[in-house]
Amino acid sequence: MTKAFLFGAIIMPILMMALFIVVVPLMMESNKTPLRGTIAVVAPDDVIAELEHQLGQSKGIGDEIIEQLPVLLQADPIATAMLASDSITEVELVSATFDEIDDIKQQVRLKELAGLIVVPEKLVETWDTEERFELFIPTSFSPNHTDLLKSATSKSIVDARLRRLGHVPTDIRDLLRRPRARASRLTEDGKEAIDNEVARRIIPLAFMMLLWIATFTSGNYLLTTTIEEKGNKVMEVLLSAISPLQLLGGKILGQAGVSAVILGMYGSAAIAGLIAFALFDLIPIFHLVLFAIYFVMAYFMIATIMAAVGSAVTELRDAQSLMGPIMLLMIVPLAIWPILAEHPNGAIATVTSVIPPLIPFVMIIRITSSTEPVMMWEIILSIVIGFASVIAMVWMCARIFRIGVLMLGKPPNLLELIRWVKQG
Amino acid sequence: MSNAIELCGVSKSFGDTLAVSNLDLQIPHGSLCGFLGPNGAGKSTTIRMIMSIIYGNSGTVRVFGTTALAAKDRIGYLPEERGVYRKMKVGAFIEYIARLKGMRGSMLRKKVKDWLEKIELPDIHNKRCEELSKGMQQKVQFLAAIIHDPELIILDEPFTGLDPVNAKVIGKIIDELHQDGRTILFSTHVLPQAEQICDRIVMIDRGLKVLDGSISDIKRQFDPRVIQVEPVDPTNDFSNLDGIASVDEMDRDGCVNLRLEDDADATDILRKITEQTPVRGIQIVRPTLDEIFIEQVARNRGTEAASAAREELTHA
Repeated sequence: MTKAFLFGAIIMPILMMALFIVVVPLMMESNKTPLRGTIAVVAPDDVIAELEHQLGQSKGIGDEIIEQLPVLLQADPIATAMLASDSITEVELVSATFDEIDDIKQQVRLKELAGLIVVPEKLVETWDTEERFELFIPTSFSPNHTDLLKSATSKSIVDARLRRLGHVPTDIRDLLRRPRARASRLTEDGKEAIDNEVARRIIPLAFMMLLWIATFTSGNYLLTTTIEEKGNKVMEVLLSAISPLQLLGGKILGQAGVSAVILGMYGSAAIAGLIAFALFDLIPIFHLVLFAIYFVMAYFMIATIMAAVGSAVTELRDAQSLMGPIMLLMIVPLAIWPILAEHPNGAIATVTSVIPPLIPFVMIIRITSSTEPVMMWEIILSIVIGFASVIAMVWMCARIFRIGVLMLGKPPNLLELIRWVKQG
Repeated sequence: MSNAIELCGVSKSFGDTLAVSNLDLQIPHGSLCGFLGPNGAGKSTTIRMIMSIIYGNSGTVRVFGTTALAAKDRIGYLPEERGVYRKMKVGAFIEYIARLKGMRGSMLRKKVKDWLEKIELPDIHNKRCEELSKGMQQKVQFLAAIIHDPELIILDEPFTGLDPVNAKVIGKIIDELHQDGRTILFSTHVLPQAEQICDRIVMIDRGLKVLDGSISDIKRQFDPRVIQVEPVDPTNDFSNLDGIASVDEMDRDGCVNLRLEDDADATDILRKITEQTPVRGIQIVRPTLDEIFIEQVARNRGTEAASAAREELTHA
């Protein structure tokens, strides 16, 4: 067990989990640090009154953003969980005049005052002006608190304008609030499911990418270690102790264990993240079970191909030419995932679900996208075809491996590989 | 004595190239057998077939009455192509190979350390393999081949790349293992080396076995064809004697080698020489393995090939 493995497979995910469970809540907690102190305000009286009211309400900047978000995102628990915060202010506002501005600035510099807000009368009279309100704060002032003051002042000016015209600002704001929609999907079994647009788009991609990265990282490791063992001539020493098939089996199973640990650790980090944001119910347990099944399928497909390619060449750059067609095929799920997620039972999805190396990647997108449920018989068929092709691929790759591991010199082309399969 | 290795009618070709042709071979238990031949003779291919790393096109290979696959834990093998895991520590590498060969237990680490001391590399247990010189790596690999106390040890060119001091260390261990009753087969293209330590040799050339037997039997098979004379009179002409095919130039010690005709009787000519001229010394020279090998090549492939083989052995 190397230090790199310990770091990559165990320490990194633990750090990620710590980030989700400890650091993120702490960061959110830091938003709650109250704004304390006395702030001088040079502004019309009605603006000061509105500002006192605004700061008294003590709404956080996160709530401001949420209010301004499109309705779609307001309904999304991920966005609201990320942004929600409730800053508290314990601020005393003191009215001042324009003549006192220079003295007050000095007091702000010396931190005797928490800040100074200057609002020109013209800014309240009309929106049609180049004038701006000004905020003077000490160098150590928190960015969150700066945003809070800016936002509260801006809002107070608007509210003061409304009151001068005889309106009640809260009424106007309520009237302008755009109505929200709740989309429910009516399933064929008579149930209604609340739609979650963000999750619907992100989760299938996340599952497929996790599968893709986990299998290709392991496959790539098998490719490079096999080439290395051939290159540094340790292969023959190994083959004097075990048969090529035992070697291939050992490498694949060993790496499977490593991948399972890595996937388990990163998966736990992801689940910790979901739990931290109270979103775990977005992923049914059944999907996790299917993910495990498709992971095993994808891993054995990719790992055997990579090990066979590694055994057939003596240098990594020779492997690139053999890997070209395979990679071209494996890019397909990455390219078509939006189509699959949008139409999980469409023609493209159905066809790609029976092409062996694509099966696990395509199926995991189809299953986790909540647009339409995939029929159970399709899931079972994909698992049967997938594992049957795993057996065929392991058989073929083992034959290539047996001949390839002791071959040196010019790398074989595709026709020669087929000949090896027949010979092996 | 039963055989540790038995090959019967084994042939192996790679494409159009015949690497080993209809080879019969028996290596008795407890023997120290040299497997000789020039580069490309088919030695490594034969050894790989014995080890079940590759398979012949025809014939049978039996090791301990079964296949090498079934008896792998009883065999130690040093391949011609040397290799280590460069980033692995020496001790861990040897222990890993030992475990692959079925060794278990807490004593393994101590055993590795003891052996490292024995091959005069006591301080490298915790060094990475890539930090070692080529010669040190070769000794480490030799150790990996024998660490699990195998009954049969197959060494492909074990001395290649070693300086004389290290070659002596490995040679001594090979001899000790032989004394201990292990069967040892080692290949080399350096014939005098094999002549020194082997009790038996098998010689192949272009995939064909040309010699097989104990060194004394083989030498006995080949009549001496050279008489070395140190004449009192250096100008004496020996070429006029019957049965002398050619006379070499006198060497710095004043000795002349007389090469005999094929049907000549060495003892008879010896007598005639002493009658013709007084000599300070005279002896029948037994053929070396090099000479026997060249003669065999000449028989198989003609004199031109024999000259090429002589050239190859000179540069080996």
